[in-house]
Amino acid sequence: MISDRIKSNLSREFRESLLAKVGLVLLVAILIMGLFAPVLATHNPHTTGYFDDDGNAYPPMGVSYDSHQWVDGERVTYTAEPSADHYLGTNNIGQDVFSRLLFGARTSLMVGVFGTGLAVLIGVPFGLVSGYYGGRVDDAMMRVADIMLAFPSLVLALALIGVMGSLTIPIPDPFVFAGVADGMPASTPLPGTVTLVVGLVTWVWFARVARGEAMSIRNEEYVKAARSLGANDREILLKHVLPNSLTPVIVLATIQVAAIILLESSLSYLGFSGTTLSWGYEIQQGQDYLRTAWWVSTVPGIGIVLSVISINLLGDWLRDSLDPNIEGEGGGAG
Amino acid sequence: MSAETPPTSQPLVSVDGLEKYFWENDSVLDRLFGDEPVAVRAVDGLTFDIHEGETLGLVGESGCGKSTAGETLLRLQEPTDGRVEFDGDNVYDLEGSDLTEFRRDAQVVFQDPFSSLDPRMTIGDIVQQPLDIHDVGPTDERRQRVRDLFERVGLSVDQLDRYPHEFSGGQRQRIGIARALALEPEFLVLDEPTSALDVSVQAQVLNLLADLQDEFDLTYLLISHNLSVIRHICDRVAVMYLGEIVEIGPVEDIFEAPKHPYTEALLASVPRASTDERERDRQTLAGDVPSPRNPPSGCRFRTRCPMVIPPDDLEIDQEDYRAIMNLRERIERRDISLETVGGDEEFEFTDGSIPPADVDAFVDALRERVLDRELPARHAELVDGALAELASTDWDAAGTQLREVYASVCERDRPDLGEDGHPVACHLYADNECETLENVR
Repeated sequence: MISDRIKSNLSREFRESLLAKVGLVLLVAILIMGLFAPVLATHNPHTTGYFDDDGNAYPPMGVSYDSHQWVDGERVTYTAEPSADHYLGTNNIGQDVFSRLLFGARTSLMVGVFGTGLAVLIGVPFGLVSGYYGGRVDDAMMRVADIMLAFPSLVLALALIGVMGSLTIPIPDPFVFAGVADGMPASTPLPGTVTLVVGLVTWVWFARVARGEAMSIRNEEYVKAARSLGANDREILLKHVLPNSLTPVIVLATIQVAAIILLESSLSYLGFSGTTLSWGYEIQQGQDYLRTAWWVSTVPGIGIVLSVISINLLGDWLRDSLDPNIEGEGGGAG
Repeated sequence: MSAETPPTSQPLVSVDGLEKYFWENDSVLDRLFGDEPVAVRAVDGLTFDIHEGETLGLVGESGCGKSTAGETLLRLQEPTDGRVEFDGDNVYDLEGSDLTEFRRDAQVVFQDPFSSLDPRMTIGDIVQQPLDIHDVGPTDERRQRVRDLFERVGLSVDQLDRYPHEFSGGQRQRIGIARALALEPEFLVLDEPTSALDVSVQAQVLNLLADLQDEFDLTYLLISHNLSVIRHICDRVAVMYLGEIVEIGPVEDIFEAPKHPYTEALLASVPRASTDERERDRQTLAGDVPSPRNPPSGCRFRTRCPMVIPPDDLEIDQEDYRAIMNLRERIERRDISLETVGGDEEFEFTDGSIPPADVDAFVDALRERVLDRELPARHAELVDGALAELASTDWDAAGTQLREVYASVCERDRPDLGEDGHPVACHLYADNECETLENVR
C-alpha cells in the first residue's frame, strides 16, 4: 500500500525538516519512557512517604528542601540535601515524581492511541458511507455529526463520564511478570471510560475528513469502472474508497493523538481519569504546592507539552510528505 | 471495420427516448428557501440502435451530453426517462443475476487513463478485478487470463506488480482496455478513448481497438469530439447537439453529404492540409453553446444556425436574418446596457424613458452598437421601430414587434429525427419544406 514514491517523499521531507527530527527524537524518548517505565523507574510510583534516618517524613521533597519545625518554642530550619534517590523530588505525599512521570507517559500514550483508534473505527466508516452515498443519507448523517460538533468536547466528555461512571481496566505488566522490575505495580490501569469518551467526542473529525475524501473518490473514473464491472457498493467502499482516503486520515490521526492526550490531561486534572498515574492528575495534586514545590506540577506539565509538540511535529511531517498540496498550518482538528 | 453494415438484424443495443436530467438547487436547504430545482438537460431524448459488430460514433462539442449518454446507457447513472434494450431486455429493469450478466457483457473504456485506474492497486490486480468480482474460475486460471490479456494488448507481463503511475498514458489506456476485455464482453462503450493521449499514441490505440473488434466480434459505441477518429473507426455516426441527436447515418454519408447545418459546420471546422483551404467557405460557428438549463425552443441549434428558415412571406438575406435574430435574442434576454448608449451619459433616463426629442438619436446610437451591418430599408425600419421601444425600456414590446415579423419555424417546432437510412432533425428537410431548402441556400 505504501508506494516507493511515498517512501521517498517521507525520507526527503524528513531530511529537510529539522522540526521533524526533533519531533521524532522526542516522541521516541517518550515512547521508551512509557514502554519501559517499570524498568526505568527508581521507585514504585504508588509508594508514599520519604523518611529520614530518624523516621521523620519530609514530603514534599525536592532537589533541596527546607523544613521548619518548632523546637522548644523556637523555629528551627532543617535543610534536606538534594537526594540522589529522587531525581525529580517527591510530591506532597512523598511519591517519586520521576517514576510517576514515566508511568504517566503510559497512561497518556495509551489513552491517546486507543482513543484515536476508537475514533477512527467509528468516524471513518461513518464518513465514508455518508460521503459515498451522498444525498439524503449524507444529509441525515452529517446533521448527526454537526450535533456532535456543537458540543464543546470537554463538556460532552464530562457528561458522558457522568452517565457511564468510571471504569479502569488493569493491564498486566510484562516486565513485572518477567521478574526484571521487582517492586513495581503488577498492572497498569487503562482508564477505560476516558478512552471510550475521548473516542466518542473526537470521531466526528474523522467522519468529516473521510466524507470529503469519499465524495471526491466516488466520482473518480476507477470507481465508475468498478461499477461497470459489476462491483457492489461494499466492494467499492472497501477496495477503492477506503484505501484511497487513508492518507488524510493518517495525518489527522497523529494530530488527534496529541489532542486526545491534552483532553485526557484535562479530564484527569478535573479528577475524572480513574487512575492517579496520570500527568493531569499530578498537576492537580501539585498546584497547592506551587510556591514551595514547583516541580510536582511542572514536571508532568512539561511531559504533556513535549509529547503534544512532538506528535504535532511528526503530524506536520506526515502531512507535508503525504500530501504536498496542503500548505502551511492546516488541520483545524482538536 | 466493415464499410457497410446491413441494419436488417435485430439491434444489439436499442436506445429509445433516453433522458438524463441533473437537478440543481435540489438540496433540503434549497427546498426550505423555496428555490425551484433547475433541470440540466444533459441528455434529452436519444433514440438510436447499435447493431451487432458495428461501431457507432457519437460526436458533438464538449458539454453536449455525449459522455453522460454513454454512462447512462450502461446504467452507471440512472436515467430520468427512456429505455435501453440490450439483447432484448430493458437495461434499467435488470436485477440480480440478469444485471450481473449485463455487467459482464457491456464494458466501458474511459477517457482519462490517469483517473480510471486505482492508484493504489497494481495493474495486475486492476486487470484481475473483473474476474474476482464475477468469480471466474480458480485463482491460477485468473492469473493466466490476466497474462494473456496483457500480451494481447501489448503490455509486458513482467510489469504485473507495478502501480499505474509508473506507466505512460498510452500504456495505461491499454491497461484499461485489458480490464474491459477481461470478461469477454459483447459491447464496449469507448468514452473518448484517445483524447488524452499523444497524437502518435492515438493511432496505436485506435488500431488496437480495431483489431480487438475483429478478433472478439465486439460492438462499439465510440464517443468522441474528434472527427478524424470517428471517421477512422466508425461504421455509422450520430451527431449530438445539446442533448439531442441531430443527424445519424453511415459514416460516408455524414462526411461526404452532411445534411444538418450543425454537421456541416462541425466538418467545416476541421482544418485541412490543402491549398484550396483559402478559398473554402468556412462556416465557423458563431457564439457559444446555449446552456442546457434553458435550451432554445424548437430546434436547439437555431441560435447559431447559419440557415435559419425565415417566415414564408419574408424576403430576407440569411445574414441579415441572422443579425436580426441575434438582436432579438439579446432583447428577449434583456442583454443590452441601455444606460451606456452613446457614452458620456448622453441620454438621461428618467422614470425608465428618455425625453421624446432624443429618441431618434438614441435609436441611431443603439443601432450602431447592436448591429454590425447595414440592413435593407424595409427591415431597417422594422428594427428601428423595435429599438425605439427600448427608449422607454419596454423590452417586451420590442421583443414582440420583432417576433411578429421574424418568428421562424425553427423556434416554434422541434424538428423530428426521421426514420429513413440517414435521418436528420432539421426543418430544412421536413417534407413540406423542400422548397425552403432551396430558398435558404
